[in-house]
Amino acid sequence: MATEIVNATAAEDRILRTWTPLILRAILILSSIILMVGIAQAIAFTPDFYVRRFQAIQHGHLHVGESFAQLVDGMRRGDPHAVMTLGLYVLTLVPLVRVAFTFVLFLKQRDFVYVAATAYVLAGLAVGVMLGRIG
Amino acid sequence: MVLTILGGLFALAVGAGFVGALSGLGGGVFIVPGLVILAHVPMHIAVGASLIAVVATSAGASVAFVRDGWTNLRVAIILECATVTGAVTGAYMAGMISPPVLELLFALMMLQSAWFSLKKQGDDLVPQSDQLCTRLRLSGQMPDGDGTMTPYGVINLPGGAALMVIAGVISGLLGIGAGAVKVTAMDYLMKLPLKVSSATSNFMIGVTAGAGALVFLSRGDVAASVAAPVALGVTAGALIGGRVLPRVNVAALRILFVIILVMIALEMGWRAYSRI
Repeated sequence: MATEIVNATAAEDRILRTWTPLILRAILILSSIILMVGIAQAIAFTPDFYVRRFQAIQHGHLHVGESFAQLVDGMRRGDPHAVMTLGLYVLTLVPLVRVAFTFVLFLKQRDFVYVAATAYVLAGLAVGVMLGRIG
Repeated sequence: MVLTILGGLFALAVGAGFVGALSGLGGGVFIVPGLVILAHVPMHIAVGASLIAVVATSAGASVAFVRDGWTNLRVAIILECATVTGAVTGAYMAGMISPPVLELLFALMMLQSAWFSLKKQGDDLVPQSDQLCTRLRLSGQMPDGDGTMTPYGVINLPGGAALMVIAGVISGLLGIGAGAVKVTAMDYLMKLPLKVSSATSNFMIGVTAGAGALVFLSRGDVAASVAAPVALGVTAGALIGGRVLPRVNVAALRILFVIILVMIALEMGWRAYSRI
């Protein structure tokens, strides 16, 4: 029985150590490509606009309140700001996807202590996002 | 002009990501003052960019840390329950406690952590985990320079988790990362090796920072023009830091950690003083 637990734990750890870095790397590469495209667009097509925007930020004037629809619209027009914002959204998904992956893995392995732990973390994050204050 | 701004932000972020990955603190401690003082960016914009930076550092460094066996994934998952509880409680309690009092308390906590860390010379390893940690299979192995693995035990989960809840509450109340408290809890209370504590803290801080960054992004409180080059720079710095950690001397890492703790204490103390 004890040997079975040790073997199951080792198998779980092996999957975690193989897949977690792959997930992290894949999302990081994707977000970095999107961010680089946005920055390259800003340098190539709208350098003066970028500088003016940066100076406005320095003076406390931030353009706020973009809805997701406005973001998508900006992406369609090739707006560098919208492309960069999309890259940031993708980046913020890294840790959440990672927790969701461990939840699924532990569920598949029927390791219920860790299923409960990861489910609790996911629920806590959802509450935090809804409260709008976490972080 | 555009290249100067982007280059400056990128360079600042590479340094922050590198040190943040090595120390397990995420790099926010350098990003916020760096952006405010050097780039003249307002504080709330700097905090938004810093949250993004912490996510990038955590992910970038963890690619190597997890693959090479430095991160204790089970400890991270169990302790994340405590930090999330603390962060949500702290977020809910926001406004009930005076921020300067909290900032002052946090500064004192950082000084105490620095003192504890300074007193320890190397790693204070325990050969076997206690009963609770054994039941949760928290023991681990860390890589040695010669390719072998050194086993280590883990103890005092309730003490570590309690400190994590407190760290989470302070983090939720003040909107700051609490990587320093996480490393101290694992290193000092739970007796994990310092490099494992640092790598595991790095892994954990991304979770609450990710949720915080999502909130900031959806509110429109993240300036993409600032956060995008910062995120790219921090990712590059963290990827380098993740590769360098195995070769870093524990004593040197401890000194770096103490210096950063004192810096955080001074920053928090200054924030409290300027609000009184």
